[in-house]
Amino acid sequence: MTSGGNAGGGWDALVVGSGIGGMESALKLGGMGYRVLVVEKEPSVGGKMILLSKVFPTLDCASCISTPKMAATAHHPNVTVLTDARVERVTPKGDGTFAVKVHQEPRYVDTSACTGCRQCEMACTVAVPDQFNGALVSRRAAYIAFPQAVPQKALIERAGTSPCTFNCPAGIKAHGYASLVRSGLYEEAFNLVAETTPLVGSLGRACYAPCEAACTRGQLEGPVPLRRLKRFVADTHYASAPSRPVPSLAGPPTGKRVAVVGSGPAGLTAAWLLGRKGHHVKIFEAGPEPGGALRLAIPSYRLPVEVVERDIANLKEVGAEIVTGSRVDDLAALRREGFDAVLVATGTPLAAKLGVPGEDELSGVRPALGFLREIKLGQAPDLSGQSVVVVGGGNVAIDAARSALRLGAQAVHLACLERRGEMPAYEWEVDEALAEGVELHDGWGIAGFVGDDGQGGRPGAVRAVQLMRCTSVFGPDGRFSPTYDPQERSELACQLVVVAIGMGVDVAAFPELANGGRTLQADPVTLQTALPWVFAAGDAVSGPSTIAKAVGQGRRAAHMVDRWLAGLPLDGLPSPLPEVDRSSVLARQSSHSYRAPLAPAPGAVPFPKDFAETEPVLTEDEARAAASRCLDCGVCSECHQCVKACPAGAIDLDMRPQDFELEVPAVVVSTGYNLFPAENKPQYGYGQYPNVITGVQMERLLAPTRPYNSVLRPSDGKAPERVAYVMCTGSRDQTVGNPLCSKFCCMYSLKQAQLVMGALPLAEVTVHYIDIRAVGKGYEEFFEQAKAMGTNFVRGRVASIKQVGDGNLVLRYEDVDGGGGLAEAEYDLVVLAVGVQPNPEAAGLFAPGKLALSPYAYVDEPDEDLNPAATGTPGVFVAGSASGPRDIPESVLHAGAAAAQAAAWIERSRRTREAMAL
Amino acid sequence: MAKVVEAARAEPGVVVAREAMFTCSDATQSEIVQDITDNQLDGLVVASCSPKLHTLTFREVARRAGLNPYQYTQVNIREQCSWAHTDDPQGATQKATKLVRAGIARTALSEALHPLDVETTPRVVVVGGGVAGLRAALGLSDIGLEAVLVEREEHLGGLVASLGPMSPHGRSGHEVVARLVEEVARRPGITVLTGAEVVSKAGTYANYHLVVKRGDELLELDAGQVIVATGAEPYQPAEGEYGYGLEGVVTLPQFEALLQAGEGPVAYQGRPLRSVAYVYCVGSRDEQHPYCSRFCCSATVHAALQLAARNPGVSQYHLYRDLRTYGSNEALLSQSRQRGSVFVRFADDDPPEVTRGTTDGGLQVTVRDQLTAGEELRVAADLVVLVTGLVPHDDPGLVRALKLPVGRDGFYNEVHPKLRPVETVVDGVSICGTCQGPKTSAEAVTSGLAAVALAGALLKAGVAQLDPQVAKVDPVHCDGCGTCVASCPFGAISMVDGRASVDPAGCKGCGGCVPVCPRDAIDLKGYTDAQVRAAIDALAQGVLA
Repeated sequence: MTSGGNAGGGWDALVVGSGIGGMESALKLGGMGYRVLVVEKEPSVGGKMILLSKVFPTLDCASCISTPKMAATAHHPNVTVLTDARVERVTPKGDGTFAVKVHQEPRYVDTSACTGCRQCEMACTVAVPDQFNGALVSRRAAYIAFPQAVPQKALIERAGTSPCTFNCPAGIKAHGYASLVRSGLYEEAFNLVAETTPLVGSLGRACYAPCEAACTRGQLEGPVPLRRLKRFVADTHYASAPSRPVPSLAGPPTGKRVAVVGSGPAGLTAAWLLGRKGHHVKIFEAGPEPGGALRLAIPSYRLPVEVVERDIANLKEVGAEIVTGSRVDDLAALRREGFDAVLVATGTPLAAKLGVPGEDELSGVRPALGFLREIKLGQAPDLSGQSVVVVGGGNVAIDAARSALRLGAQAVHLACLERRGEMPAYEWEVDEALAEGVELHDGWGIAGFVGDDGQGGRPGAVRAVQLMRCTSVFGPDGRFSPTYDPQERSELACQLVVVAIGMGVDVAAFPELANGGRTLQADPVTLQTALPWVFAAGDAVSGPSTIAKAVGQGRRAAHMVDRWLAGLPLDGLPSPLPEVDRSSVLARQSSHSYRAPLAPAPGAVPFPKDFAETEPVLTEDEARAAASRCLDCGVCSECHQCVKACPAGAIDLDMRPQDFELEVPAVVVSTGYNLFPAENKPQYGYGQYPNVITGVQMERLLAPTRPYNSVLRPSDGKAPERVAYVMCTGSRDQTVGNPLCSKFCCMYSLKQAQLVMGALPLAEVTVHYIDIRAVGKGYEEFFEQAKAMGTNFVRGRVASIKQVGDGNLVLRYEDVDGGGGLAEAEYDLVVLAVGVQPNPEAAGLFAPGKLALSPYAYVDEPDEDLNPAATGTPGVFVAGSASGPRDIPESVLHAGAAAAQAAAWIERSRRTREAMAL
Repeated sequence: MAKVVEAARAEPGVVVAREAMFTCSDATQSEIVQDITDNQLDGLVVASCSPKLHTLTFREVARRAGLNPYQYTQVNIREQCSWAHTDDPQGATQKATKLVRAGIARTALSEALHPLDVETTPRVVVVGGGVAGLRAALGLSDIGLEAVLVEREEHLGGLVASLGPMSPHGRSGHEVVARLVEEVARRPGITVLTGAEVVSKAGTYANYHLVVKRGDELLELDAGQVIVATGAEPYQPAEGEYGYGLEGVVTLPQFEALLQAGEGPVAYQGRPLRSVAYVYCVGSRDEQHPYCSRFCCSATVHAALQLAARNPGVSQYHLYRDLRTYGSNEALLSQSRQRGSVFVRFADDDPPEVTRGTTDGGLQVTVRDQLTAGEELRVAADLVVLVTGLVPHDDPGLVRALKLPVGRDGFYNEVHPKLRPVETVVDGVSICGTCQGPKTSAEAVTSGLAAVALAGALLKAGVAQLDPQVAKVDPVHCDGCGTCVASCPFGAISMVDGRASVDPAGCKGCGGCVPVCPRDAIDLKGYTDAQVRAAIDALAQGVLA
């Protein structure tokens, strides 16, 4: 048995589907000495039979009789089984053989290493409906399909990358830490974020949270507050976690030394990850404190200094050194000092200028970065009673304006070229600034400054800003190209002007890394510069961006530097699975219970007096409730608990699908049937009333590995006393487009009636039917046995089902035996004897129209009387219910016939080939 | 675990004892192979999970290491120990230690066993030349096995040969048979013996000897497998049953013959039929025949559709209990309703009465219709068709010759009706077609081909490997009392020179003969008395001492 990878070659027959029909065909063909490849889309062989309780009319335990067949199939020397694989296309080649394309889905578990110990399942933090238990209970995203699954190996269900994680520029597993918080695993959540960056607390406050913008729950009541969850996780860790021995997180020493120039988010992240790989890292920071913009620009009401310092202290755990006040201007010198690689991540320290008269001459006109930096270094000016004009419409301008308010300014004016809706600052930032008392002057350009004359060599002081109406900011090509109306003018009196109109890279500092542009030059993928041992990352390469993007660059740089140090090609940064489509996530929810989002943080207070954090920390209850609103879009959250729990190291989330092709002389289609979706008969209330279940769900309630360990009704766990069966749900019914009889629903209902009476001796079972079709060996006798046990049989179709009172159900039906009128009866539990539908996957194996179907869309057997199991395509055979409803013995017989037919075909084509060779 | 390993290491004869986290993993398997080859070991005990899961795995490991696979013992310390005693870890450890000790004791006394290679006879005898048997013979010849078709009658074809258009496709039964017979005649690999019957079968696994009687002639045939496809016969109603015997009351086969005779409007006694009543379930679902005959509802509805096409304006009344037009046959039922057939349901305990009408001498059927609140209907009919089902042949000669298992309903029984529907409990004998229960023609053909697949899987390789864990008689101790001969359900023990002798190809290793021997002269290889006793002693060590 294999699963994954190329299946080899030399096959005589391909069997598609491993239900009872597929297994029988494969075993018989294998027994005849043919080499058989079985392709199964589910994670286990066994099809639907293995999920049944018992089988009619023998009442054998279904698992007991099908597991040996499953094991025999998996272990047969001539049979190879691929699970989690789909046959994409079968194409006749014209020489009597077929070209087959197979798509192998990854299990994310190395099945040769997995021993089925289920540690991953126990560690998994995501619960999803258990489709193998009729969705009556949940299972984990890391799971073994069911207790008798073959192979008995775990897999991880992944629908793709959750939108939050996919949209994180830093590459943080946002879904992962949300599901860990939901599970109360805060330390694990911290560690998960720390797999990417040490800046957990800073990001938890100052990140613009593109994850939340992407959150699917945002389309319901509002997104999961992922940023605040991260802050909660960081605060909890920093408040409570015992400090780890230093440097406990450093990898085994590699003996390599790396210099990181710049200690902003990119540099710190790269240093952290390189340290974890075992490299010795030294960070050179030109400023007086490490942290870059986090430490020296972002105001403390958004990001307190202590939080940044605590985040930076994490770097000790990986043994990284930081030297401040140390400007690097000679990269070659670092190389000479013995650094094996250098990463330049110096950000955007230069301020852009207006280029307006007075800007340089007048005192009181200053760039925002310097202004903010003084505040963060505890050298804030006193602005009491002053009027301040902040120039610029971005987030830095907002930071400067709100800081100015906090320093006592009497009035703070924000003048920007853009109109309110065009401002680059986040809208909520603008809202908060206005609420705090900032006055907005949008759509104005700066024409000039009015100032005092300087005296005695002192420069003049600014007295006012002259404004000029900006008519448009962007040219027709979308580029920044402002135009003005010089006629419309205004003036703002002030004592201080803070200019926040952009930042730039200090290109001149590293001439060897520049090639005339505004940023340092590095390969966008490998981040390697013209000097092979120098890498560059962050805003220094990209221009001004966001903290999260800078972290993402740092992560990429660390990966590439590590590869380069190891002499490996510069690739291999795992790309995430495709983003999950939000509409598909919403569509798969059977219901949305309203989950109130967090109450919004208290609104901004006018004229705040200090730099205290404005946003309160979440309580533990709030955090867990908020995290519980996650819809688990990608199913697996990538919380990595399974990776840590697996004692065999078998889990590999970087596995990806594989496609391969093979050639085969004969194909057996045993794709089975689909069950009628009971929702399509709305008058029966399935999906609406919890106590209306399908026959398949009742199979699970009765099975030895059943979810509730008894037959209980779903709404309240009560043992039902009156159970009704509604026969022909979705069969013999033109209104749902299926005029045919599904053949085995009568029999499984008769069986269940007996088993229910056995399980619940007080229960009364009533079967509402049209005709009881007990056609088969021992079936009529089985019907008699059900009658003798006391099953009630009521002839007449059920018209509708309505829920009353505490979950009971009233059936309205035609009472044929009682005179033909309409009657009503109340039950505790109603079982819909759902019928079958053709499985369109059968025809989908071939090019459209290439596999002939019957008028009822089952695979056609044009010569059924003489050549059962032969389809309209020579060399293609059908086994089991793919060509029409069949019960188990009929499927086994039919699959035997398919094997005999396929064997005859293989022999014939062999003889033909041999004859042609002669 | 470490304690168990330590205890095992102290056992006599143990060279290497190791703990492994994942014994079945590739890595540990390789370590085991290494240990066996490095230390030239002659026994292997694996203490892990259920032997059901991994006996074959570790036999293969042993084989790879050059150790005889039967000198390995699987000890279950998971399902039967650690998982069962999660509340008592210490007790579980003690139990595991004992189980391992017992496994070691058993293994120490093991001997190398070798699977028995048996050449198989590539010929199959098919008994019965109806559609199932004919198709089976063709299928066998298709896959390169020789077929001998033994038919009791002088002609091939069976029941289907007499049928016209069959439900649901309308394909003519006699044409189907004609095609099969023609094809069978063309195949050099198929021998047809008509007027012949199997009278005896002997031999062992895949090598049987059959005696076939044709006329006065006795033919001997070697065969690897026998497929029984002897069919069934239509129920013949008793005189007076639903008016049977009255002019105009016919069975379903008689009605089908009527449909086949001639073109144009269907006539009875020269008069075109204007009104027909069908009484369903005659000879089915009653006390003598508690089974449903399966095909008859669909066949009748199909016949009614033919009649409606040929006799426009004909009135047709179907008197039924449950209409069992299963699967796609349901479409026929809808069509026949559209073509004017009237369906009348009678209660199980209130059957219709068929009488000769008093006024015009025509037939009259009286029935209480449950679909119209039990209203009594009187239907005048030109013809009353009794929808008769199938009954089993009474064939005591064949049953005796092949030891066929006959069910309570008189049809032959398969070994398991669900998953092994063509195998029987009798070695080398499979069944298909209607001899095992009512079927349609297509269903009988399907089961015939399923029997072909079974024969192919058994015989196509030409050689079979049989389990060597079989009984063995110690001729020194055997005193020839013969008790074991009678105890063997497989007839594998015979007396040779006054001593019992086991045919290893016939023995199934059930061990039933071992305890009945008064001289303890029989051992089951792999489970010898000495091994079992040693295992018990090891288990009891420290308990009784």
